[in-house]
Amino acid sequence: MVKRTKLEVIKDILEVLSKGRNVKITHLIYKSNLSNNSIKPHLNELLSNGLMTIYEEDNKKHFRITQKGQEFLKEYNKMKIFSDSYGLS
Amino acid sequence: MMALALSIGQYYGFDSLVEFFILIISLLISYNSYKIYKVIKEKNYSLFSLAFLSISVAFVFKIVSNITLLNVIKIEKGSLILSAIHELNELQAINFFSFLLYKIFLIVGFLTLFLIINKTLNKESMMLYLYFNIITVIFSIYYNFIFHLTIAIILFSLTIHFYKNYSAQKNKHKLLVFLAFLIMFLSHLFFTMIERNPIFYITGEMFILVGFGLLLLNQRDTKNGKENKTRSYKRYTRSVK
Repeated sequence: MVKRTKLEVIKDILEVLSKGRNVKITHLIYKSNLSNNSIKPHLNELLSNGLMTIYEEDNKKHFRITQKGQEFLKEYNKMKIFSDSYGLS
Repeated sequence: MMALALSIGQYYGFDSLVEFFILIISLLISYNSYKIYKVIKEKNYSLFSLAFLSISVAFVFKIVSNITLLNVIKIEKGSLILSAIHELNELQAINFFSFLLYKIFLIVGFLTLFLIINKTLNKESMMLYLYFNIITVIFSIYYNFIFHLTIAIILFSLTIHFYKNYSAQKNKHKLLVFLAFLIMFLSHLFFTMIERNPIFYITGEMFILVGFGLLLLNQRDTKNGKENKTRSYKRYTRSVK
């Protein structure tokens, strides 16, 4: 199995978020194939970069993709080609 | 005063045009890498962006150096009058420092690329490379040959890396980058011989133009988001196995 790059992991998380309206952390962990510990730094980065938002409903955290996150998904292919072509990932 | 510009008289307009073209491509690559860095905050991308920014700054100074040398030659040809001597010295000073800065920024740019690609970003290695960098720049003030040979050696190791990157998973984009660096390596080999024959200068300029042209071609495909589907599928099936 080929190890995913950080770029690919971020894309996978955002793809899960783009498919659901309000995504819970357990669903996100399961669908993006990450552990509870390994997903946290990625989520913090996505939040600080404004690619997703977090809000609470019934005392539970939910995640939602932002417009910037949607734009990232559109740009992803270009970024991947760039990164691969120079062997940066 | 040492006016050490590489430019050979009859090619002035052409080489400045080539360098402007390279400057734009380097800026474009630097910007693309910075865009990725902004999202995933990986050091690799910020340094890669800085490396190409450094290369583009180098070519700004190369253009300045070419222009000042052009002026020096013009003044010399116009049978100097005494009042022009002062101007000549100033232009020579600009020419000297801009050419020196060109060398510094180009070495820093390619050396940074080398460090990223070889993943040697620890402080000890960087200090060692910095030392060699300074030594190279000092020697290259007097001998252009040393400067071009150093750049050629760095480019050669980059070419090997990009060849390995291409052979690990063959696709058009990786091939373009590999060929671009191979051609850039050859261009600097030609530059090492410019003192023997001016034809090597123009050949080197042509090669470097083609090299950066290939990087532009890769950028164009990146912009369109074109991916080699067949190869991607092959990679997928390999990973499943």
